[in-house]
Amino acid sequence: MYVFLFLKNNFSVVLFLFRSVEHTDGQSVLTDSLWRRYSEFELLRNYLLVYYPHIVVPPLPEKRAEFVWHKLSADNMDPDFVERRRIGLENFLLRIASHPILCRDKIFYLFLTQEGNWKETVNETGFQLKADSRLKALNATFRVKNPDKRFTDLKHYSDELQSVISHLLRVRARVADRLYGVYKVHGNYGRVFSEWSAIEKEMGDGLQSAGHHMDVYASSIDDILEDEEHYADQLKEYLFYAEALRAVCRKHELMQYDLEMAAQDLASKKQQCEELATGTVRTFSLKGMTTKLFGQETPEQREARIKVLEEQINEGEQQLKSKNLEGREFVKNAWADIERFKEQKNRDLKEALISYAVMQISIRLHLVWTNSYLCLSEL
Amino acid sequence: MAGGPKALPSTGPHSLRDMPHPLAGSSSEEAVGGDSTPSPDLLMARSFGDKDLILPNGGTPAGTSSPASSSSLLNRLQLDDDIDGETRDLFVIVDDPKKHVCTMETYITYRITTKSTRVEFDLPEYSVRRRYQDFDWLRSKLEESQPTHLIPPLPEKFVVKGVVDRFSEEFVETRRKALDKFLKRITDHPVLSFNEHFNVFLTAKDLNAYKKQGIALLTRMGESVKHVTGGYKLRTRPLEFAAIGDYLDTFALKLGTIDRIAQRIIKEEIEYLVELREYGPVYSTWSALEGELAEPLEGVSACIGNCSTALEELTDDMTEDFLPVLREYILYSDSMKSVLKKRDQVQAEYEAKLEAVALRKEDRPKVPADVEKCQDRMECFNADLKADMERWQNNKRQDFRQLLMGMADKNIQYYEKCLMAWESIIPLLQEKQEAK
Repeated sequence: MYVFLFLKNNFSVVLFLFRSVEHTDGQSVLTDSLWRRYSEFELLRNYLLVYYPHIVVPPLPEKRAEFVWHKLSADNMDPDFVERRRIGLENFLLRIASHPILCRDKIFYLFLTQEGNWKETVNETGFQLKADSRLKALNATFRVKNPDKRFTDLKHYSDELQSVISHLLRVRARVADRLYGVYKVHGNYGRVFSEWSAIEKEMGDGLQSAGHHMDVYASSIDDILEDEEHYADQLKEYLFYAEALRAVCRKHELMQYDLEMAAQDLASKKQQCEELATGTVRTFSLKGMTTKLFGQETPEQREARIKVLEEQINEGEQQLKSKNLEGREFVKNAWADIERFKEQKNRDLKEALISYAVMQISIRLHLVWTNSYLCLSEL
Repeated sequence: MAGGPKALPSTGPHSLRDMPHPLAGSSSEEAVGGDSTPSPDLLMARSFGDKDLILPNGGTPAGTSSPASSSSLLNRLQLDDDIDGETRDLFVIVDDPKKHVCTMETYITYRITTKSTRVEFDLPEYSVRRRYQDFDWLRSKLEESQPTHLIPPLPEKFVVKGVVDRFSEEFVETRRKALDKFLKRITDHPVLSFNEHFNVFLTAKDLNAYKKQGIALLTRMGESVKHVTGGYKLRTRPLEFAAIGDYLDTFALKLGTIDRIAQRIIKEEIEYLVELREYGPVYSTWSALEGELAEPLEGVSACIGNCSTALEELTDDMTEDFLPVLREYILYSDSMKSVLKKRDQVQAEYEAKLEAVALRKEDRPKVPADVEKCQDRMECFNADLKADMERWQNNKRQDFRQLLMGMADKNIQYYEKCLMAWESIIPLLQEKQEAK
């Protein structure tokens, strides 16, 4: 599938899709363009997060410019920033489209095809409620008794990754800032060499030429730093991806906790039931308390209670069984996606590092200096 | 080598040449190699107790003319003067700085090695040790005795203590190069190189004793210019000298600007370096978290480290080699402007006296002797200065060519080091991980 995004104006992003869909009869379908706002992208993502908790969902590009160095304004309307955002959104859609599971999602399909009412369609799924509870749960603190080591390690890794990439981006921004300063000050040479050449006879031409080269050198920094921003964007994507990874781990923790609570609850109910049946009171129960206070219950009452408990225990056992199953499914699917993600991450970051190195090499500014060297030898 | 101070006939500067040279025994010492330099204390003891060097006592041989003081001869010498090494007969090198720690002070001396076939030197080779104040002394003596010539500058005298460590290797080396340049410029000068003070500086075992004698070996011109009254004011500077003055003003201004820019660049580069030194290690930290990416990330970290080192070398070179030369030329042009002013004074006196004669309306059209003397003085001064300016322009061109090319070269080297660092990790990054 092919996705191209264009800008409409500063407030929206045009979604212009050339979508090639392979039908069974081998026909390709091209669709018209659609307009989508950034908030709709966010809605799509939130939906995916709720319905695919075991997937490491691709992240959106940053809403506001972070990790900027001084020349780049933190202005969201800055054309360079908007352009980079556009690329980021394009990338987001491509990631989903190339994901084996996410690409088949109906809502995603509609995002690409349904002009109007898409928002309503999403809301009709009732995902909002789930989204709220999910958010709440993710932020809650709780302790799992038997954590899965693989997930705790992974969560730890995602935290560390976020931390190290943030640090890297911060320092990189400072490095860019300083490098800019170095280049720009060299530009000052241009004028003074030119002025000096005016009072010289034989040296004049050489100095003039050298001055010119200093100007060229100084102005070359803008392109260099533009290329560097692209590298920073690639790192940022994985900074946000780390968060998505963490979310999967948290989800697992949540499920585990839920399971443990359910098991605990079931065990307690079984205990209660047993006590009622045998007449021994070992566990505290409100009923037991009130019985003590207000008098013994009749055998019929007791029978009724046992019956209720037995029903609850049955239900509880069913639930626990399905939760266990759910849990195992989650772990299986999540782990499959995590493996897929790991390979993608390694591939992508290696590529990013290679192009970063290539970019450093292609800054063949030593050629500028060589030129200046040659013309100075004419002095 | 006679013991005890002898009184030799006072025939002026030539008397030195008649003496057996005290270093005769040690002149075979090569300039390079063998650390046979006596220890500081021994050196001191030797200087003071040295009875070998006998100085002429007595006054200034005011009327003595040394061969090169005549302007006409000077002009001829300059025309024939080959800057080729082939016709050179005097070589001077400054090297081997040594620190001397004494009770009263600590200072550095430099070894001066001289090789010459000139008759003015008794021996073919000399090796002496001198400190900065000796160079300073030499320069004042040259200014005094050769006022019509442009005397090369010395590196800055005063160093703000605490800001710069005047015993650091870098500072001493920078100074040594500047002092070497100073002596070489004098060596290359057809008049200055024959100056008696210069000769003594290069050859005398005990320079302090010679200094104490306070010998003013003024050349004819030196003597003459010394007596120029400073009271006269010049109406207009002749065009050619005005042009030189203007040129020097602008030149010094531009150099000052370049100096400031260069300093600013070095400052910015150092700040950039600080950030780079933090940037590299973060990749290492990241590498520790990863499996397959560990090696590539570590590689990037090392690469950035190499670039940082290369940058540090660049900033050091700029500080040590580029800035001092700029500053030297600024000092040079300042001292040159003083010489121009002196020339103005000479001309002013002449013009005033000439005018006075004209006003006297005497029958004798003959110009009095003292006015003639003034004219002669002025013409010699102009000739000396013009010749020196031309020489200065040529040398300046060569010096700046070398300086600016050196700067470009250093930058090229820096970029090449960075290029190599990045190129070397590409294969590492592209390496396929073996299936684990």
